[in-house]
Amino acid sequence: MLEQVMNQYNEAIMDTDRDKALLVVRDALSLGISPEEVVFKIVVPAIELMMKSISENQGGSLAQHFMAAQIASEVVDEMVPLFKKAPEIVGKVVIGTSQGDFHGLGKRIVSGCLKAMMIEVTDLGLNVAPERFVDEAVAQDAQVIAISSMMVHTASGDNGCRRVRQILRERGLEERFRIAVGGAPYRFDPELYRSVGADAWAENGITAGRVITALIREVRK
Amino acid sequence: MMTGMERLSAAINGTLADRIPVFCNLLDQGAKELGLSIEEYYKSGEHVAEAQLKMRAKYGYDCLWSLFYVGKEAELLGCSKIIYAKDGPPNVGEMIIKKYDDIARLQVPDDITSHPAFAEELKCLRILKAEAGGKYPICAYLTASMTMPALLMGIEKWLQMLMLGPNDLRDELLAKCSDFFQKQIAAYRAAGADVLVYSNPFGSTDFIPRKFFNELSLPWMERDLTPGGTAGVVYYCGGARFNNVIEAVISRLGIGVFYLSPMDDIAEGKRLVAGRGLTCGVINDIMLLKWSKEQIRGEVKRMIEAGKPGGKFLFGTLVMPYNIPEENIRTMLEAAYEYGRFDTP
Repeated sequence: MLEQVMNQYNEAIMDTDRDKALLVVRDALSLGISPEEVVFKIVVPAIELMMKSISENQGGSLAQHFMAAQIASEVVDEMVPLFKKAPEIVGKVVIGTSQGDFHGLGKRIVSGCLKAMMIEVTDLGLNVAPERFVDEAVAQDAQVIAISSMMVHTASGDNGCRRVRQILRERGLEERFRIAVGGAPYRFDPELYRSVGADAWAENGITAGRVITALIREVRK
Repeated sequence: MMTGMERLSAAINGTLADRIPVFCNLLDQGAKELGLSIEEYYKSGEHVAEAQLKMRAKYGYDCLWSLFYVGKEAELLGCSKIIYAKDGPPNVGEMIIKKYDDIARLQVPDDITSHPAFAEELKCLRILKAEAGGKYPICAYLTASMTMPALLMGIEKWLQMLMLGPNDLRDELLAKCSDFFQKQIAAYRAAGADVLVYSNPFGSTDFIPRKFFNELSLPWMERDLTPGGTAGVVYYCGGARFNNVIEAVISRLGIGVFYLSPMDDIAEGKRLVAGRGLTCGVINDIMLLKWSKEQIRGEVKRMIEAGKPGGKFLFGTLVMPYNIPEENIRTMLEAAYEYGRFDTP
């Protein structure tokens, strides 16, 4: 039965059909599937399946990534209050777009995926100053600072990731935090993340879930 | 020596030329050329025209741009806040659609040409036309109705509305954006623009699933383009790939020029266009920030070898980041002129 529900949910995600996806989940509850199973055996595997299809170069469009994250986030919001006990948080992330950058879509997709993976996300919004990324990461006791940039000058300029790295170094915080970056310039130059001082980059919002989880584990080791 | 216009016409018509046309999208670099800040530079149509003419003469490529920056279109629809950077393109600093009620209030100007935000572009176009009209193609940039809402409400909210509705408001907004597009393209044509770059990332299946492309993008593109026709129109998806929709774009829209993504396979693109139009191979110009001379020459050679056989091919650039060293721009262009040469009989 669980497999049948999974297939129906995956189909709805690929069709970007939110209403159908939510219906599948609610029907699953009425069939006796627990809210925990809905999240960990249906929603998270659906995101992982999308990651797999992206890595096998079957892509999926930006809209499909957006909807997968959006639906996952909505389902998690609905299911978590029904859990028998509060879920264990995998880690914490602060996320925002770099200073001068006003493109928030990637950040939103990443946040939706992370939420489904039980990662606590503090969204700092758009046009975030480098100092604020660090201050908030310290205040939230996060493991990862995630910086999204859609333009070359905001990705590689002096007020983006490069400066965040410099502040971490100056304050002796490099062991405590990892930096993940994403956005169009990193796709066009897959080595750019290194030159701006990030620890990792993600090609899209969905795979960012995997990249950030790995960084959290690294810090927590 | 042939002019850029002659090279472009020869490439479109499949006739003889000295080399393939080479388009180089230098925009913000104009500020550097005139020794101005980017903000100061974009205040005046005279600045933009002067720098465009200077840069074309200095590097020898085949096009001129009337585009200031993409956010200019949002200004025509009421945006009053543009945020300038010191080393990159200006950004829209205020979304004029903050809530759905704002869609009803959005007004498309009756006469774009009399709008203050268009005045400097018009000035620029007039100078370009007077100085280089007929010799070098003058390019204008127009955002498709399907993409324009991203400039007005942000891509995040637009994608949400596109995927989740409400569909009546979505269509009301699209209709206004399409009306605006129709007026804008007519204004550019009347002012003498030769090449009309039709920018539509939402015309790529990297952005939306094929079903949405068929059911939404295609009909809205038809609505945008039907009144004025597709003469001079270039299909461009903002750097997103679109080889897999070329057939639909030709058969449904009749567009004849395809400005591919750097991520598209050029030879495949040409095979799909199949002689029915001009294929433009586009370099991943972000890499010009750091590639060596040999790497640049190698990439230009690879691209031109993939696209040049049989003609009907143009070499082009994408965003040309502000900080690309001049030397690398020259290396790329010289390689394009060299490898793009046709042997004369």
